[in-house]
Amino acid sequence: MAMEQVENRRDFLMLATGAVGAVGVAGAAWPFIQSWNPSADVLAQATTEVDVSSIAEGQMITVPWQGKPVFVLHRSAEQIKQAQESDGADLPDPAKDNDRVQKPEWLVLLAICTHLGCVPQGVGTGEFGGFLCPCHGSHYDTSGRIRKGPAPNNLEVPHYEFKGDSTLVIGKAAA
Amino acid sequence: MDFRKIATIAAMLLLLAPQVGMASSGGAPLPKADWTFKGVFGRFDPAALKRGAQVANEVCLGCHAIKYIKYDHLRSIGLTEAEVKAFAEAQGKNKKDRMLSAMSDADAKESFGVVPPDLSLMTKARKGYENYTYGILTGYLTEAETEMIDNATSDDALSDEEIKQIAAKLHLDAHNPDYVREVVRRIGAGDNFNRYFPGNFFAMPQPLTADAVEYADGTKTTLEQHSNDVVTFLAWAAEPSLEARKSLGIKVILYLILLTVMLFAVKRRVWAKLH
Amino acid sequence: MSKSLMEWVDERIPVSDLIKSQATEYPTPKNLNYWWNFGSLALTVLIIMILTGLFLAMHYKPDAALAFDSVEHIMRDVNYGWLLRYLHANGATFFFIVIYIHILRGMYYGSYRAPREILWWLGIVIFFLMMGTAFMGYVLPWGQMSYWGAAVITNLMSAIPLVGPDLVTWIWGGFAVGDPTLNRFFVLHFLLPFVLFGAVFVHLWALHAVHSNNPVGIDVPHKDTIPFHPYYTIKDVYGVGVLLIVYLSFVFYAPNFFLEPDNYIPANPMQTPAHIVPEWYFLPFYAILRSIDFLGSFSKLAGVLAMGGSIAIWFLLPFLDRSPVRSFRYRPLSRRLFWIFFIDTLILGWVGYNPADATVLDGALPMITIGRTATFIYFGYFVLLWAITAFGIEKPNEVPKSI
Repeated sequence: MAMEQVENRRDFLMLATGAVGAVGVAGAAWPFIQSWNPSADVLAQATTEVDVSSIAEGQMITVPWQGKPVFVLHRSAEQIKQAQESDGADLPDPAKDNDRVQKPEWLVLLAICTHLGCVPQGVGTGEFGGFLCPCHGSHYDTSGRIRKGPAPNNLEVPHYEFKGDSTLVIGKAAA
Repeated sequence: MDFRKIATIAAMLLLLAPQVGMASSGGAPLPKADWTFKGVFGRFDPAALKRGAQVANEVCLGCHAIKYIKYDHLRSIGLTEAEVKAFAEAQGKNKKDRMLSAMSDADAKESFGVVPPDLSLMTKARKGYENYTYGILTGYLTEAETEMIDNATSDDALSDEEIKQIAAKLHLDAHNPDYVREVVRRIGAGDNFNRYFPGNFFAMPQPLTADAVEYADGTKTTLEQHSNDVVTFLAWAAEPSLEARKSLGIKVILYLILLTVMLFAVKRRVWAKLH
Repeated sequence: MSKSLMEWVDERIPVSDLIKSQATEYPTPKNLNYWWNFGSLALTVLIIMILTGLFLAMHYKPDAALAFDSVEHIMRDVNYGWLLRYLHANGATFFFIVIYIHILRGMYYGSYRAPREILWWLGIVIFFLMMGTAFMGYVLPWGQMSYWGAAVITNLMSAIPLVGPDLVTWIWGGFAVGDPTLNRFFVLHFLLPFVLFGAVFVHLWALHAVHSNNPVGIDVPHKDTIPFHPYYTIKDVYGVGVLLIVYLSFVFYAPNFFLEPDNYIPANPMQTPAHIVPEWYFLPFYAILRSIDFLGSFSKLAGVLAMGGSIAIWFLLPFLDRSPVRSFRYRPLSRRLFWIFFIDTLILGWVGYNPADATVLDGALPMITIGRTATFIYFGYFVLLWAITAFGIEKPNEVPKSI
């Protein structure tokens, strides 16, 4: 009887020690894993500021944001009309043009094809007046929505906000 | 021979060890300030950090850089976005810029003969650490001392009494009157004397004086207060991870003590079978 | 299911047998004291060093223009980078503390005696590898001590007659320590620990062939052994816990205690720091190097030879020690010599830390004199150990018949 109790206590002690040790090993792995995540200096570059005052109507620039290309298109009335009229078309990834822009004349797109990650070509290169991805022939319209080709989704709209009339801030500042 | 004897001898060696004579002058023993960030629970004083950042920005950056710190980093010591912007703009910079010197390296070299060292790691890069930087900032001649030397040299020859007096005030070796005379001569020639600098003379004129900076929080602006604040800031700049390190450390060490005690208990139980 | 899977594997590669014979049921003397923990502690620190080093290498840049900044990048920007770096920098210190105790334990209990000579020699090879790895690792932050440490140590090679100067140029890849040197040292610092790990494996193989020595120093019959598991597994893991408490206390609360302030100043090939010192673990050998200064133009080479010889002489210990008894526990004279040797090594370390022109006792005793005397005593230990055992001067106490 007494022997048994000693045995039980030892089992418990060993189990508990093993559990505490396992927690420590897992905890020790954490700094190593975290060291691969973006470092503070990379996070500090989470936003890109763009001066959009010099982009003429119908013109587009490509700016780097977090190492990825972003299209900033100053849409003409024609391009806006084209985009809005397509809201009712048969879209593979339905979305309203209005929901994809903050101001109708500015279209901001993450220029990475949702098919396999190539960078689409400039505005007007594809059918529907929009962007053509040269890799596998996906066509995006003037709202960046997929219309034709193998890509499954619309071009992503990154987080952005306007600071005044001429400054566009792409991305969210790190906390 | 047993362990006790060995330990005694080793301890005696350690006692003997510091009494080493050196050929060159090492500067006066450094002042020991009470830093809030020392010790296991030590943390930076947030108000001192903020004031120190101001001193660094308005005074130090005139000649030195603090290149590993960007203005934006100052938000992590409690400056607001607007304060960061104001600090940066005061130096003609924007918030993503590094805290670089207003003076170009070439200009600095022309003025001082050397490029002033970067201050990012200063409190870690000298023997004595923070106390060294604090000592340098407060180790120049006071007005009273300058006056004393002026009086002593007015009659052209230093008496033994005067040499003793000067040596005591400036922490010099009174047994070496020639060195004291040389120091007095160089002070007269306008060289920069500092009692804590090994060798006593160097290129930096006194950088910081009382009332150098006006504090928004109304703290008194003595030389000691300025020095305390800016050294606190530089200690942060040298090791921004200090607080994270200390707070993680407590948890890790307490955990390890718990685990080790448990391991010891298991070890005893396992080995009990043998005895 | 798992049992049959294990059987399936064992028929093809006998893993279970190996674990049983070499780990769990491996017979170990039952009387090992805590000094025997330091082998497993060394392996633990080696693993920590390889892991932290691997992750540091993912952020470090071996380029003279970028190295210093990249270390500060690790310290400031990389998530937990400061932790990885302080673990690695202090890990070197604790690796040497553990290894020195491990070596001294071997010396005290006569673990180098037959049939463990090859085991002992492999240990010395590992120690040489460790010193090379540590030296090159210290160069990588590219601070002032890194740079001038590299300059001084590589210049030792110039003492070699005829080829010396060309050899140094070859090691540098230039006419001074520089970018090519840093780049190759980084590659070697990355590679050598894996070589070292291999050497440790052979060291363990040799150990398991002849089995552990023990404090009494006699051969142990099988009835006096206990299975390694659970007895020594738990004792070793407990030791690791104690080591980690001490080691991590430094990492978290005095991470720069063992580092030189000068190494936070970027390398400057135009200016040597006023007082350069090697890392503490090299100090005794550095003191021996500096103590040989009385042989004129031959001093430089002699100093280098004496420094190398101060470790190489350990190879001869199995031949020098002729006592019929292994363990110093039963050898009163040897024991005294051992402790004198130990204290002498501490004195050498202290001499190495101080400037060569320093004095003690108000200038009455120059440091160089202390250094020379201590060097003489250091080598004297090996000669005397041989003399008292070869000529029967030492009368060992009675050794127990069993443990």
